Amino acid sequence: MGLFWILIVVVVVVGLWVVSTYNFFVSSKARIKAAVQEIGNQLKRQADLIPNLETSAKGYLSHEKGIYKDLTDARKAVANALKTGDVQKMSDAGSQLASLIPSLQIMVESNPELKANTVVVKLMDELRDTADKVMFARRLVIDLTADFNVKRVSVPSSFVANMFGFAELPGLITPEAGEHVETKAEELKTPKVDLS
Amino acid sequence: MQNIYEAQNANKRKSALILILFILFTTVVVYFLSQAFSVYLGYEPGGLGFVGIALIISGLMSLGSYYFSDRIVLAISGARPADRSREFDFYTVTENLAIGTGLPKPKLYVIEDSAPNAFATGRNPEHAVICATTGLLHKLSRTELEGVLAHELSHIRNYDILLMSMVSVLVGMIALLADWFLRMSLYGGRGRDKDKGQLGAIILVVGLLFAVLSPFVAQLIRLAISRRREFTADAGAVAITRQPQGLISALTKISADHEPLEAANKATAHLYIVNPFKEHGKGAINWFAGLFNTHPPIEERLKVLGQMV
Repeated sequence: MGLFWILIVVVVVVGLWVVSTYNFFVSSKARIKAAVQEIGNQLKRQADLIPNLETSAKGYLSHEKGIYKDLTDARKAVANALKTGDVQKMSDAGSQLASLIPSLQIMVESNPELKANTVVVKLMDELRDTADKVMFARRLVIDLTADFNVKRVSVPSSFVANMFGFAELPGLITPEAGEHVETKAEELKTPKVDLS
Repeated sequence: MQNIYEAQNANKRKSALILILFILFTTVVVYFLSQAFSVYLGYEPGGLGFVGIALIISGLMSLGSYYFSDRIVLAISGARPADRSREFDFYTVTENLAIGTGLPKPKLYVIEDSAPNAFATGRNPEHAVICATTGLLHKLSRTELEGVLAHELSHIRNYDILLMSMVSVLVGMIALLADWFLRMSLYGGRGRDKDKGQLGAIILVVGLLFAVLSPFVAQLIRLAISRRREFTADAGAVAITRQPQGLISALTKISADHEPLEAANKATAHLYIVNPFKEHGKGAINWFAGLFNTHPPIEERLKVLGQMV
C-alpha cells in the first residue's frame, strides 16, 4: 500500500514537471513570435517618422540630395520587409535605416539653422529612440531564442523537448563566416582622431 | 573574468545561500524562544501560540505595506507622474528596456530633488513603479540613465520587492517574539519555579540570549540579503543593456554627489540605486559600519562591474 502511494506521488510530480516544461517551450515560441511582431511595429514607426523629418529639414538641406535618396530607399526596404513578415528581412531593413542615423546626426549638428530648429531636433531624438527600440526588440528575440535553445539541449528538459519534437529555433541569423567575423590589420591599430 | 551569465548564476547561488541561512536562523530562534515561553508558562501554548500570533501581526504590518507599496512610497516621497515630452529620455529609455526584457512598462514618477537617485517599487511587474529624481535626469546622459533604469528594472524582474517584504515579515516576527519574551521575564510572575529542572533553566538562559541578540542578528542578515540583491541587479542591468560602462559612469557620477536626498527615509532606503544617506568612510570602522548598510560600497560595485567590461 505504502509503495503504491509513493509511486502515485512520483508519477504526479513527474507529470507536473513535464507539463510545466512543455508549457515553457510553447509559451517561449509564442513570446518569440510576439517579439518579432514588435520589431516590425517599431520599424514601421521609424519609417513613418522619416517623411516628417524630410519635410521639416528640406528647406535647409537642398544641397544634400544623396541622403534623401538613401532615406527613401531604406523606407522602401522597410515597407517591403513588413509585407513579407520575414524576421530576417525586417531586421536587415532596420539596420539599413539605423546606419543612416549617424550621418543625419552629423548633418543636423553641422548646420546651425537646422540645429536651432526644435522640430528637427525633436524628430532626430525620436528617430534615435526608435532605433534603440528596434535594437531592444531584436535583443528580446535573441534572448528568448537563446533561453529556448539552451533549455532544449540541457538535461533534463531536453527529454521533454525530444518527446514533443521541439526543433532548434534560428532566432536572428548572423552569418557565421564572412567579413564581419574577420579582423583586418588596420582595424587592430588604435584609431587616430584628428580634430584640427 | 566572468561573463554576465556566470555572474548572474553566482549571484543567484549566493542569494539562495543567504536566504537558507536566514530561514535556518529564524527556525532556530523561533524554536528556542517558544521552548522558553513554555518553560515560563509551565505548559506548551496550544493553537496558534506566541509564534503564530507574532507571525500574523508582523505579516499584517509588512504585507500591508507590500501590497500598497507603490502608493505608500509615492505618497511619502511626494512624486509626480513623468511626462513623455518633458522627461523624454527617462520615458523612452524605460520604454525601450521594457521592450528588451519583455516586461510591461512600469509607471514612471519624478521627485523634484537635485540629489541624483532612483528607486523601484511595486508588488509585481504589473504594478511596478520606477521613480527618479530630477537631479538624476539632469546629470546623467542617455547611456548612463539606461544603466540605472536597467538596474531598477532588474529589481522588478527579480521580484526583489516581494523578497525583501517577506524577509521583513520574518525579521518583524523575531523582534516581536523577543520583545514579548523580555517583557515576560522582566515583569512576569514566575509561578512554578520548583517544577523547572536543570533543562528548564538552560532553555531559559538560551531563550534570554536569543531574545537579546536575535532581533539584531536578523536585521544584519536582512541587510546582507539587501546588499546581495544590489549586486544581482547590477549584473542584471548589464545583461539587459550589454553596456557595463553606462552603469559604471552613472554610479561614479551619483557617488561623487554628496547631497543627501530629502525625500528618503530609513524605511525606503533599500529601494534606491545608491544609499540615499551617503555614509562614507574608510578602514575597519567602515567595514563594521558596512554591515548596517542596505547597499554595498560603490567601489566594490564598480570593481565587480569593471570585470564585466
